[in-house]
Amino acid sequence: MASPSIAANAYANLARIVDPGSLTKTTEAGGQSFASMLKDTIGSVVEAGRKSDSQTIAAAAGKANVIDVVTAVAETEVAVGTLVSVRDRVIQSYEEIMRMPI
Amino acid sequence: MDFLKSMGIAASGLRAQAGRMRVLSENIANADSTASTAGGDPYRRKIPTFSSEIDRALDARIMKMGKIGLDQSNFRSKYDPSHPAADANGNVKFPNVNSLVEMSDLKEAQRSYEANLNIVSATRRMIQRTLDILRA
Repeated sequence: MASPSIAANAYANLARIVDPGSLTKTTEAGGQSFASMLKDTIGSVVEAGRKSDSQTIAAAAGKANVIDVVTAVAETEVAVGTLVSVRDRVIQSYEEIMRMPI
Repeated sequence: MDFLKSMGIAASGLRAQAGRMRVLSENIANADSTASTAGGDPYRRKIPTFSSEIDRALDARIMKMGKIGLDQSNFRSKYDPSHPAADANGNVKFPNVNSLVEMSDLKEAQRSYEANLNIVSATRRMIQRTLDILRA
């Protein structure tokens, strides 16, 4: 006879999710952290891009090592790939929410 | 990130092996270099050494080229009185470089380089595959 308690728990969880106070609070906190996360990530991506650019230019001038160029470009690739994947995912979720029938 | 760390460590190995190649190519190129003065010492074989040290920026143990040692073994001697570097007895000293040894060392450097390259490509593949989870 566990089903009533399970149902009660489910209702309690639902109530917590639907509770307007907690909902706005989480979205605010989430919005804040997402914005700052995006800012940080873009900053690091730009930084990595600059590094790989300078390495490539130095290599073209015959000053830098090919190995340094490859590692710098790979680092940029990882940073850009992560940023793009996360952005695509977030936009996809947003579009799904916008398609929700009201 | 650990992935970037391992890539940096592999890059240090690549750099060290490239330095080793430089020393070996110097040895092979100078295998017949005699002294410029009569009776002088010819080119002495160089030995690349490696050491492990902590990279502060990377916070990991990387590999670096150590001091380049000099092979103290005897020079090859050849009787050739007409050679400009011949001593009073007509003997010419040739470098203590053995091309066979250098070639096998070269192969070893090549293999180590390839092993490090494999680490780089495997790490990149792992990062790519992990990011693919988000794209699915």
